Formats: sequence, C-alpha cells, structure tokens
Amino acid sequence: MKKFSPARLSQLFFLTLFLVLFLMTEYRGSDRIVAAVNGFFRANPLTAASTMLAAREYIPFLLPGLLMLVLALFLGRFFCGWICPLGTVLDLVTVKIRKLGPIMALQGNLKYWLLFPLLGASLFQVNLAGLLDPIALLLRALTFFFHPLLGETVRGSWRSLYGMVGDRRDMLDPGYHLLRDYLLPFRETLYPLAFLSALLFFLILFLERYERRTWCRRLCPLGTLLGLVSRFGLLRRVPAKLCSDCQACRELCPTSFDQELLQTEACILCMECALKCPSQRARFSFRFRKKHRLNQGQMLERRVLLGGLLSGLVIAKTFRFRDPEQQSLLLRPPGVRNEGEFLEKCVRCGECMKVCLRSALYPALTQAGMEGIYTPILVPRLGYCEYNCTLCGQVCPTGAIPDLAAAAKQREVIGKAVVDKNHCIPFAKRTDCIVCEEHCPIPQKAIRSEIVELLGFDGKVVRVKQPYVVDELCNGCGICENVCPLEGKAGIKVFAVKDRTPLKEPSATAPASDEDPYGGSSG
Amino acid sequence: MNRRRFIKVVGFCSLFMHSWLRELFAAPGSTVAVARGADHAETTRKAIAALGGMQRFVKPGQTVVVKPNIGWDRAPAYAATTNPTVVRTVVEECLKAGAKKVKVFDRTCNDPRRCYASSGIEAALKGMKGVEVKHPEEERYKTVTVNGKALKEFEIYGEALTADVYINVPVAKHHGLSRLTLGMKNVMGILGGNRGAIHKNLDQALADVNSVFKSHLTIIDATRILTDHGPQGGDLRDVRVLNQIIASTDIVAADAYATTLFGLKPSDIAVTRTAYQRGLGEMNLDKIKIVKV
Repeated sequence: MKKFSPARLSQLFFLTLFLVLFLMTEYRGSDRIVAAVNGFFRANPLTAASTMLAAREYIPFLLPGLLMLVLALFLGRFFCGWICPLGTVLDLVTVKIRKLGPIMALQGNLKYWLLFPLLGASLFQVNLAGLLDPIALLLRALTFFFHPLLGETVRGSWRSLYGMVGDRRDMLDPGYHLLRDYLLPFRETLYPLAFLSALLFFLILFLERYERRTWCRRLCPLGTLLGLVSRFGLLRRVPAKLCSDCQACRELCPTSFDQELLQTEACILCMECALKCPSQRARFSFRFRKKHRLNQGQMLERRVLLGGLLSGLVIAKTFRFRDPEQQSLLLRPPGVRNEGEFLEKCVRCGECMKVCLRSALYPALTQAGMEGIYTPILVPRLGYCEYNCTLCGQVCPTGAIPDLAAAAKQREVIGKAVVDKNHCIPFAKRTDCIVCEEHCPIPQKAIRSEIVELLGFDGKVVRVKQPYVVDELCNGCGICENVCPLEGKAGIKVFAVKDRTPLKEPSATAPASDEDPYGGSSG
Repeated sequence: MNRRRFIKVVGFCSLFMHSWLRELFAAPGSTVAVARGADHAETTRKAIAALGGMQRFVKPGQTVVVKPNIGWDRAPAYAATTNPTVVRTVVEECLKAGAKKVKVFDRTCNDPRRCYASSGIEAALKGMKGVEVKHPEEERYKTVTVNGKALKEFEIYGEALTADVYINVPVAKHHGLSRLTLGMKNVMGILGGNRGAIHKNLDQALADVNSVFKSHLTIIDATRILTDHGPQGGDLRDVRVLNQIIASTDIVAADAYATTLFGLKPSDIAVTRTAYQRGLGEMNLDKIKIVKV
C-alpha cells in the first residue's frame, strides 16, 4: 500500500471536509445549518484582507483568515500544501499529465499584477478578490456546473428508468433515496455563468500541462499573498540550495526548485524533499537569526506594488456603469439594504446561491454592472425568497448578507411588487385568478383584492377580484411573480427600491403561546 | 310500451322532473359523520367508526393514498395544513384494516421540504411500517382526458390513480378566491401542470376533476379552522379551535356540512354549488343524514 505523507493526509482530509461541507450547505430539514462550507472562506486570508480593506472595518467572522496570515509568518505557505482543496485537486490530477515545461509569459511578476489590483480595488470599496480566489473558483465550479450536472444525470436516468419499467422502479427506491437525500441537489437549476465557472476551473487544470501547480505558483492571488508573508517566514528548509552531488529535490519538489535556489515564496511546505532525501540532509527548521534568512527569489519591485495598486483604482472605477433598466430589477438577497456596502463585503463565493431553498439566487452577469459580476441576485420568475427561510444569511462568510432570525428577515425589504394591468388576468382578461394573493405569505396579506363589477368582453356584467399591493406590507419576496399563472411575463413584478427600511412589526401581537396543541402526535 | 318508447318517455320526463330523477339515481342518502372532542386521534377514530369503520373502505392487501393538505410552510397551529394527529390516525386506521401500503403526499405551494417538516406531518408518520411519506416526482404524472366544462385534460399523479383507495384529508379553511377550501379543492394537490391556470374557472374545473377522480372517503379536519387570510394564514387570531372531524363518502356533502362551521350556507360556495348541480353529491343539509358522535 502506498504510504501517504502527513501533508497528503492533511490535504485529503481537507478536500473531503470541503466536499462534505459543500453537501451540507443545503436545507436538510432544520432551520439552522449546522456547518457550511463558509468556514473555508472565513479562514481564507485573501477574503479577510480584501473584505476588511474594502469595508474599512474589522469583521469578526474573518478572524480565522487573519490568524492564518499570522500563521504564515511562521509556517509559510503551508495553507497551499496542506489545506487548499483546489491545490489538492491539482496534486491528484497532475500525476496523470505529461509536462511540457514552464510558460515564460507566466514567470516573473504576473502574479503580483493579479494580487495587487484586486487588493487595490478593495481600497476603493470594490471587493473583487473572490473572482480569482482559489476556494471561490472551486466552489463556483462545483455549485454552478458539477453539482447540477450530477443532479441532472442521475435524476435523468432515474426518470428514464421509470419510462422503461414504470412502477416496478419502486423496488430501487431505497438506494435512490440515499443518493437523492445526501448527494444530489434538491432540484435542477441552470445557472448563468456556469460556462465561465467551469472554464476557469478547467483552465487551471489545463495549466498542469506545463509544470506542476502552475496556477499556485504563477497566478493564484491567495498563494501570492501567503508567499509575500512567508518571505519573513521562520520555518525554512535547509539547505536552501540544491546539493551539487544529488539534486533529487529538483524532481521531488512540486513548486520551488526550478532554480538552484529554493524559492521560498513558492514553497508549500509539502516536505516531500525532507521525507525523500536520499542522504537525509534536507530538513525544515526554525531560523530566528537574521543571517540565515536568505531572501531568495526576486524582490518585489516598488513599481509593481504601486502599479498594481493603481490598476486597482482603474478597475474599481471603470466598471461601474449600470444600465438603469436592469437596475430596476436588481434584487439582492434579504437583509441587504445598501448596494455599496454589499459590494464591499460580498466575495462572490456562490454559497448563498448554492443554499437558496427555492433556487431564487443567481450570479449576476451584467445586471449589477461589470463590477458586480458573480454577485447574487434574486430572480423571482425562477424562484422566490421563502418566507421562513434564513439560509443565505447563515452561510454568507463575510456577513454581506446578514444572518437574521426568521422574524427579522421576514420584515427585510427586497423590493416591492407592482401589478401590471396590461398582463394581469383579472384586468386584461376580466376573469378571476388571485393566485398571487393566495400565495402572499404576509399574514395580513400584502396583496389584497377588491371585487369589481365589469362589463365582460361578451357584454355581460361580471364580478371579478382584482389584486392590489399594500406597499407598507410587501417585502418583495417575489412569490407572487413566481406563481403568476401567465406564461412568460408575469402580471405582477417585483421592482428594486432604494429605501429598504424593514417593514414595521405587526402592531397587536397574537396571543403568545409556547404550547402548540397541534404540534404533531407524540406516540 | 316498447323499449324505444320507454327511453323517450324517461328522457322527456327528465326535462321536467329534473330533481325527481336526480333523487332516483343519486346515492340514496349521503351520510356525514361529525365527531367532536379535544382528543383528536380519538375524535378521528369516532368519525370513521360512525361511517362503518375503515374496514368498509380498505381491504387487506390494498394500497391506500392518504392525501392531507401539506401545501404551506406553516406550523400546525396556523390551520393552513392538516392536523398531523388526524393524518396519523387515519393512516393507523388504514394499517389496522390491513392496508399493505399507505402513501402520503401533496404537491406543495411553498418549498416541499419545508412544508413537510413545518406541517409536522412528516415527523408524525416517521418510522411507521408500510407508510411512505414522499414528494411527488414529475415523471409520475399521467395525462387524463376529461372533456369537461372547463378542462379538456389535466395531469393526475400516477400513484393516486393506481391506488386502490384514495382518502382525502383536507383542512377546513378560508380561501381568497373560492371563499373556502375543503375536500373538493384539496384534490388539486394531485394535479400536475399549471395549477394556477385552473383558478380562471375554478368551480367548473374542480367539478371536472372530481367527477373523474373520486375520493373514496373524505375526512375534513376541523379540529381548528382558518377563518381569514387563507389559504395560508399565518396569524393565530384568524384561527378558531372547533375540535371537530367531518367524514363522508360524499365529498360534496362533507364540504357542505363543513361550510356551516364558517357560518355560511353550502350554496354560498360556488365550488360546492357547481358540484351539486353537476350531480357529484348532495349539498342540501336536510337531505343529508348527519351522524353526530
């Protein structure tokens, strides 16, 4: 049996954890989610740095990320070699890929030209780090592409099996239910940007053709950030150079020995060299005295730093154009009251869209301007915000969507519904409908109807219930637009509003009783 | 008088003696059992017993569908969904009568997972042998042609069609469009397709559905009723506790009686009235045998 190194064991553990948490980021019968994949983002230094820079405040959720950055001072890029799930995926597939040799264009300062503009944009309140964050890239590829693909494939076969054997399929139910309950997404959802998400992921895999961990050492902004910190790292491999009599490290090392000198910034602490050194010379030890701290690798030039930050300004300020027509329909998840603050904190990880109970949240393409690409928007015609559900706030790693109690979330305003009399059936066709009123979850009903006597198109007098919206009660959940029986354009539509002050609490409270006399039988 | 003449006479008579003929051919005397009691399991059992017990409807080895209202993501106290104790008792009675399998499902309006959990019905039936609480699967809907007054065809859930016995267990509540939703409307839970479109001509559409698809037994949960802001409610001030269970083999008669709980006449409800006019059952309370237990 193959023996795993400690680093590999840790990698496999965290990859498994990541996938398990990914599957747990879903409604499973309880109002609260026990654990979600957001832990990976909260412990992500890049997320922490860019979000806190953009929001200009300390965000307690992201403390683990800061700690990870401090830890990198001692342990270098151990995150990349021991934890990062994307790195693990690369390590697992790279052995099957023949190498063509490094791409010159990716050498040098390119990685800084990715990292600094991202952080620079944060200084101007646009949080873009998530676009190239490795965990976010992986999560979005899973959420928007792989998981739906799995669901569609399995469910599709299950359906066609029914076409073949009919009700006899029931015998296989237990096995399918296991799959359905633990592995598959609840419903089939098609996401915009699925292609881009998958493409970026496959591109990163494709780069493995050139050298091992190309993405990690040449591009990844998270790795670059950790690499910068690890310059001051205390845990060092000795000897720092290839030994002239052996040079085995050149083959063993996945990231750092493309030159004579070990590239500290790229070392991911996998410890392969120490474990497999033929003469047991290579080892890792803490060095505190300055003279041992050779600063290897190219120094970060000042013009790269300044240039990078300046491009951050350019990026932050040049993609802000927003089409007003699309703005009127730009609905954010519940609890988001201010677009500017939202853009500071949203890291575009895709978790809210993964967890959304009714598949109501989708990544924006241009709806929020180019600056808002991949941020979540609510599309009521595809799914509405479930009245009693608070999952998106629970999983948001940065608090961009606040984690609210159900009663508070129910009062948060997403938008306001407006009846379109040209389409709405009781107005346009003069026949009854009122499906929107039926579904409106507000106990006092934000959609009500009045009985109107009209002359029908056949000349007879008809009494029709026509809906109207009570703005003071509407929270813009979008169920009305979602269930409107009209095909295509709905007869009622939720529009964005600037003033998202929460609805007032219901005035007179219902008789409070903890005892629920109908709460299910107990035996 | 030869056969042809006889048919002519009868046909002719039917023009003038419409109601007389209806009485002749209608099921003689619809019976509605009304049970009262704060112990809802016991009350449900009493109502079923008053109709002759579950063994009258369920024979050993049969597959039964029990169709409660699980339409909304509301706790049982809000009276938007069927009382879980009632559902459980009906299922138990089916099993006692020898049912091989009891299937419980509804096509929900809110998220199905949340509805099944919040209604308490999933939890109430958990772990019972021979009971399946399941979400409808879209491939199981079958298109049924009716050529009715409002609907030409519609999709019915396959498992409801193939079941030996179909027991309809609605909750009595207010409804924005039809004023009340009772047994007739609860059958919408086994329809597929664009159900919203049915609302355009709801009473005729429901009569179409119920004339093709018959509930063998209707048990209306009026342990508590939703009197306003239905069918979803959400305010306990709209809920009234009545501790009643209404059961009948005549879905129109059951609905007709339940209407009185809201202080309304059966003829006030267009769905009930239309069903009666189309001969689906009895709605005149003085012609219904009401057994109070």
